[in-house]
Amino acid sequence: MTCADVERVLPELIDGAPDAALQTDFETHLKACSACSDLVSDLKLIASEARQLAATEEPASRVWVRIAAELRAEGLVHDQVSEQDSEPEFWPTRPILVPASPRRRWSAWWLAPVAAALLAAGSYVVSHKSAPQVAKQQAPVPSVTSPATVTPAANAPSVPTPAPQQVAQQKSPKPIKIAEPAVGSLVEPEPSAEDQQFLSEVSTRAPSMRATYESQLRAVNADILETQAYVDRNPGDVDARQHLMDAYQQKALLYQIALDRIQ
Amino acid sequence: MLPRLPGKFVQRKEFEAASERVAAGKGDLTDPKQAITEAEAIEQAKQGHEAAFEVLYHLHKRRVYSLCLRMVSNPAQAEDLAQEAFLQLLRKIGTFRGETAFSSWLHRMTVNVVLMQLRKKGLPVVSLEETLEADDEAPRKEFGTKDVKLTGSIDRLQMQRAIDRLPPGYKTVFVLHDVEGFEHNEIAQIVGCSIGNSKSQLHKARLKLRDYLKFMRAEKAKTG
Repeated sequence: MTCADVERVLPELIDGAPDAALQTDFETHLKACSACSDLVSDLKLIASEARQLAATEEPASRVWVRIAAELRAEGLVHDQVSEQDSEPEFWPTRPILVPASPRRRWSAWWLAPVAAALLAAGSYVVSHKSAPQVAKQQAPVPSVTSPATVTPAANAPSVPTPAPQQVAQQKSPKPIKIAEPAVGSLVEPEPSAEDQQFLSEVSTRAPSMRATYESQLRAVNADILETQAYVDRNPGDVDARQHLMDAYQQKALLYQIALDRIQ
Repeated sequence: MLPRLPGKFVQRKEFEAASERVAAGKGDLTDPKQAITEAEAIEQAKQGHEAAFEVLYHLHKRRVYSLCLRMVSNPAQAEDLAQEAFLQLLRKIGTFRGETAFSSWLHRMTVNVVLMQLRKKGLPVVSLEETLEADDEAPRKEFGTKDVKLTGSIDRLQMQRAIDRLPPGYKTVFVLHDVEGFEHNEIAQIVGCSIGNSKSQLHKARLKLRDYLKFMRAEKAKTG
């Protein structure tokens, strides 16, 4: 075999030849020819080193969010509804509140800081339960001293400064306490004090909306509880922690939507 | 309080875990809970179940994104391209008949999406057949460097820079074979060429990369 022959058959032989005799001739030539031997060695090095570029990165989670939104917008997907799910089928899996009653003016100014506190608490919980390989960092517990110092989500209207006795009722946000499920089962979470106060306000101001908000709240609390349990079992799962954060954001959005009806 | 069923998130995670077990040969297909395959996800996706779409996405997202990233070297663009590839796939999933491997079908769409993007940017995208005719000669030693053997390892940045310089046709085959690990018969299906052509393009891509890498090393040696 000559150098010209090697160049001709190299594409077939370099990754393994089907013809054993040809492979033998090929290897015999390489032993005698340093130029061809160096060439083959270089090409094999390039092929093997290229593997280090293989799929190690992941696209950001927003990519799926955008894909899912587009698929829904095009009507290509629908959520699978469990037969045992008692909720009406038109309720989406993620609580999305559809306004159905006229806007009313409420004085439930406390909803804005609670919504912001929910987001802060969610961030704290998600970042506090860091993956094992990440050094633990003490996330500062966000504190709310007065509604005026809190920055609600972008679309929330401004909130009037409350009276001092109302400020005293503000609590520092803490991880939302939801009843822990028994091992091996998931139960409906007990509503927290904030949720009960929220529903109480809704009952007072817009009784016809109570059932809607209660249902939405139940769904999002269950989502938070279940995802939290999953994160506890799988602390290294970034996807799960992101989902947990999304669930907290959903709850904060629920409060924000109610707040929107105040003004 | 009545116990509630696992919601969509945990269902999806269980579905993914089961699919991975089956793909790794560790699943017990006699166990109904574990007998969840990509084929079942495809069938469910054809019926419009979002969870099934999501499973397919998570099963293939790394490879699709990696392919896009190696082709355009820009993470934001790679995300957009990966998104578009999956959207096209999921829109057309009803037409998938299983005549080819699902991954080949998906990666074919991905390559088409990437090449279309490169065309929009005005980059010359030459078909594989044309590259075969245009460059059918031994590699020229154009850089005037002593023909020194590549030794040691090649760092990722150097490799990526060298790949960036490849013409799109060569780059596609090289990325699919040497980076992503597709076989030539799969590449032939993905890019629509013959197996012999795929091997030829790969060889030429490697020869070009060898030249680029030697040049980069020589330049680096000069600058110290």
